Amino acid sequence: MRKMKLASAFLMSTAIAPAAHADGHLQIVDEPLELTIHMHWPRAQGYNEEYPVELAAREMTGIHLIDATSGKNTTDHNEAINLLLATGDLPDIVGGHRIKDAVNQYGPEGAFVPLNDLIEEHAPHIKAFFDENPDIAQAISSWDGNMYYIPYLPDGKFGRAYFIRQDWLDALGLEQPQNVDEFYDVLVAFRDNDPNGNGLKDEIPLFQRQWEELIRYVTLWDGRSSGSDTYHDFMVVDGQLQHPYATEGYRDGMAHLAKWYAEGLIDPEIFTRGSSSRDYLLSENLGGVTHDWFASTSGYNASLEGTVEGFNFVPFLPPASVSGVRMEEHRRIPFKPDGWAISHTNENVIETIKYFDFFFTEEGRLLSNFGVEGDTWNMIDGQPVYTDEVLNGGIAVNTQMYEVGAQIQRGYWQDYRYEWQWTAEAAREGIELYDANDLLIDQFLGVAFNEDEQRVYDRNWTQIQTYMLERQQAWILGTGDIEADWDDYVAQLDRMGYNDVIEVMQAAYDRQYGN
Amino acid sequence: MEHRTTRLNRIADHLRANWQIYVLLAPTIIWFIVFLYRPMYGLQIAFKDYSVFRGIDGSPWIGFEHFHTLFGSDQFIRALKNTVIISMLTLLFGFPMPIILALMFNEVLNQTYKKTVQTVVYLPHFISTVIISGIVITAFSPSSGVVNTVLDWFGFDKIYFLTKPEWFRPIFIGSGIWQEAGFSSIVFLAAIAGVNPSLYESAVVDGASRWQMMWKITIPSIMPTIIIMLIIRIGNLLEVGFEMIILLYQPATYQTADVVNTYIYRQGLQVGQYDLAAAAGLFNAVVAFVLVMTANTISKRYSRTSLW
Amino acid sequence: MSSVVLEKIVKKYGAFEVVHGIDLEIAAKEFVVLVGPSGCGKSTTLRMIAGLEEISGGTLTIGDRVMNRVAPKDRDVAMVFQNYALYPHLSVSENIAFGLRIRKVKKEQIAESVADVAGILGLTDYLDRRPADLSGGQRQRVAMGRAIVRHPEVFLFDEPLSNLDAKLRTQMRAEIKRLHKRLGVTSVYVTHDQVEAMTLADRIVVMCDGRIEQIGTPMDLFNNPINTFVAGFIGSPPMNQIDAKLTYDDKGPLADIDGVAVRLPALPELKHNEGRKIVVGMRPEHMSITPIDDASELPVTLDLIETLGSEALLHTMVAGKPFVAKAETNGKALALEDVTSLRIAAKEIKVFDGETGMAFGHPGTA
Repeated sequence: MRKMKLASAFLMSTAIAPAAHADGHLQIVDEPLELTIHMHWPRAQGYNEEYPVELAAREMTGIHLIDATSGKNTTDHNEAINLLLATGDLPDIVGGHRIKDAVNQYGPEGAFVPLNDLIEEHAPHIKAFFDENPDIAQAISSWDGNMYYIPYLPDGKFGRAYFIRQDWLDALGLEQPQNVDEFYDVLVAFRDNDPNGNGLKDEIPLFQRQWEELIRYVTLWDGRSSGSDTYHDFMVVDGQLQHPYATEGYRDGMAHLAKWYAEGLIDPEIFTRGSSSRDYLLSENLGGVTHDWFASTSGYNASLEGTVEGFNFVPFLPPASVSGVRMEEHRRIPFKPDGWAISHTNENVIETIKYFDFFFTEEGRLLSNFGVEGDTWNMIDGQPVYTDEVLNGGIAVNTQMYEVGAQIQRGYWQDYRYEWQWTAEAAREGIELYDANDLLIDQFLGVAFNEDEQRVYDRNWTQIQTYMLERQQAWILGTGDIEADWDDYVAQLDRMGYNDVIEVMQAAYDRQYGN
Repeated sequence: MEHRTTRLNRIADHLRANWQIYVLLAPTIIWFIVFLYRPMYGLQIAFKDYSVFRGIDGSPWIGFEHFHTLFGSDQFIRALKNTVIISMLTLLFGFPMPIILALMFNEVLNQTYKKTVQTVVYLPHFISTVIISGIVITAFSPSSGVVNTVLDWFGFDKIYFLTKPEWFRPIFIGSGIWQEAGFSSIVFLAAIAGVNPSLYESAVVDGASRWQMMWKITIPSIMPTIIIMLIIRIGNLLEVGFEMIILLYQPATYQTADVVNTYIYRQGLQVGQYDLAAAAGLFNAVVAFVLVMTANTISKRYSRTSLW
Repeated sequence: MSSVVLEKIVKKYGAFEVVHGIDLEIAAKEFVVLVGPSGCGKSTTLRMIAGLEEISGGTLTIGDRVMNRVAPKDRDVAMVFQNYALYPHLSVSENIAFGLRIRKVKKEQIAESVADVAGILGLTDYLDRRPADLSGGQRQRVAMGRAIVRHPEVFLFDEPLSNLDAKLRTQMRAEIKRLHKRLGVTSVYVTHDQVEAMTLADRIVVMCDGRIEQIGTPMDLFNNPINTFVAGFIGSPPMNQIDAKLTYDDKGPLADIDGVAVRLPALPELKHNEGRKIVVGMRPEHMSITPIDDASELPVTLDLIETLGSEALLHTMVAGKPFVAKAETNGKALALEDVTSLRIAAKEIKVFDGETGMAFGHPGTA
């Protein structure tokens, strides 16, 4: 069935594309030009030269991408790119998952071509994007000030939200908690008042699939758990780099979380239950509150309908913190460390940057987001709309897109209309609810180190983070009291070189963001 | 000069006469060169500021800096200590188990029963580490785990084992024994099968009990095998099975669970510090080499059994 | 010392019977050798006496105790194995002391016994060595030492010399004989080598296919084999056995061997059996190349002479089968053409039934 679909997609794209773009205004080269590409990403360790999107892009631009991916036998992207670099034989384009660190480290050493001037001269659409988003241009640059890759730019702001069993609240006659104290009361009620009605005190009021998400709740006491969508990341406060785990808000929040854990409000197995905990605790009618992705978490309302009587798991606004702030700390990062770069062996640098630019044109964006027009989608009232086959095909829309070569981790600008079309109604309502309130905070977008800074960071940071996480779990589990341990903890961070790390972070940050 | 040519001639004659044997030997030698000796060239990155792009030769020398970094780190020292403790305990409890199993199998007379039990104890060896860890995590889970259920029956408090540093080593070592003891017993069973049966008959006529035969015949007879296996194990002392640890440990249990290999994994490979990882790996190898040499020498002196 | 009595001893492995009801009485202090080709059940029988094999039927008595269900250690027997069964990790003295230690004999007593035995066997200088550092003969002696040291009622030997070279075997044979004389312990000795059997035994038991063919002193078996099997097994080189037809002349019975008439002893069973198929047995030692009285003459053509010194083995064919004669040469070299006929006296000839192989005129069958 899937093969059939691909085959027909192929036929249609070859039949329709030339007609649609017969004017050739997107043509980059007169004679077909072949460029080799390394494309290592989670769904596939390689680039399929028969993607309908690739075929259409060929038709429009005249450039053919030839798969030359290293490390096809591993799913570890780091390993794949290191393997590629170690062989020394780089393809024209190096793309895929998590390439940012590699291109920013080895770009200045000469492995990749700096893109700033090329963008300036040959890539008007990319230039337009960066002109509008200078912070992203800064954030993706390496320490020498040059950009070495064109990132995959996700669209949409919200990722995660707080979810609660509305039917449990209703059963106990409670309202959605609006602040941290009410939140506590609701959790206690969930624990004690048998909201699932089975006569057993088996409810787990608060649970998380990733234990790191638990730390997110310190925002209820004005602490922070991370400055970006990566766990345990640094944050910027008034232009100053800090680590959330070295701040007093964190200390206060952790003290309360430890108390909640001891009181049985938090899943006692939070550290080992793992990724299936959401599935298990929801389908067993045991879990009350979680902080998780909009789309996938809303999906349980449909999948558990009939299995769990009256199941209604809804997003609710983050409860106001002790100082009255409602904060959704997690948001989608505006750019990913994924995308593509031009390697130093590329002899057609200008054509390549023009090809990159193609995916920022109207046609290129639609192609890279939705697939080939007339095949997977149609333009209706000026909006790209997926065909019924795609929306109701029984296969997740993103999976279908990956198969035709759309939404793959090339350097492209995602269009949120892609996701919105297949987001469940419940999630859409939640997103609109979150959107209507000012919940988001600025993100730390990362820094690029020079070699000396990198060395200081590498030598110290992993160890410091290890220590922080050890203490963090110990405090939650009650083998230590954060209030009593705090001064020793801070002193130990100092001894381990915390200030040196902050210093190089700050230097890199100042250089990159021009403070 | 004269001497040289005759000697070369002798070697050439020797090669010509025995060329079949050398052809048979060649694959092994090539394997060693390609997969073991050639990669040793890469060991030098332990003394370099290594960049994947610049390559081994292009990266600058920095002497012993990586070793300074390692030994200046409390966490490395702790990992080293944990490695030694876990290895020693594994050796202490894990090494005798397969021998005991083999001796027990040897005493079982009912063949069907023996085959069944053997299959059952060999089986865990063939299960992937990921699944074994899953089984361990489930078995020790506070809510639904077998262990806590049993504790509960007897009126003890439930324990969240996998977050308790003091429980990590027993669980890790115990599950390791459970997984490997059966399969490791095969080599000892083979050694027992090689014992001359008339030794036992002679002992029977002399009036030895089964217990005496085990102590006075079986164990001494397989002692060379035991010693060789022990020397090999000592050589691998620092090679704690870190995949299993990574799957079982938590920051909360780093204190007792973090070993050199997991440290290398976190500090070196996860963040791409291959040079530092190579330094730690080199240190591991040197220690292992010294341990094997020592064990071998001691064994040679006192028991006349040795690897070489 | 104890006697050993086997009554209707049977050994079965499942439905497969390998020893078919053996009767054997071994007197105290007697040295009995079980001999026969491999697979004849001699070792199995020995192992049943030792208790290493369960007895499937019949009764085993040692001394005056029925031993069928008695554990090996309580039978008061000691066994010497073909491959010595020495413990490689123990020294010579520890090996010898093993049985005593198992029996928790006092240390001083063990030391004394070991020293005694070592003295008897000439092992005193080797007590601290490991078996790996000993020669084959020394190992054999250690194995015997282990048996001797316990002062058992019965010694059991399971082909103890077959791993030794010929010269050492001769030497050890003599030692075993001497030892038996000195200690006077009842001994059962298994071998497939008839020379060992002849030299060592007070009585020999010849076995074949799980049955006893004949029991007797070595000379009994040599002179009066009960059948062609025993006749062929005892003696070296073995007795020549020639198919023939029984005829008569006025002086008595004759054997018709391919037209050559050979005078047979005048046994009563040979009367009135004209034309009967018989096997004529002639020992090589009884053949002569010089004329003797009252002898029949076999014309032969030699094809090989093996010179042994004062004697020679003469190989030829008689009635289509290889035939060997042993001749005195008195140190003279003999040429093939020197011998054209062999002679044998009628009284030396054995006659067997051509159908059953049983001897005519045997004292046991008469």
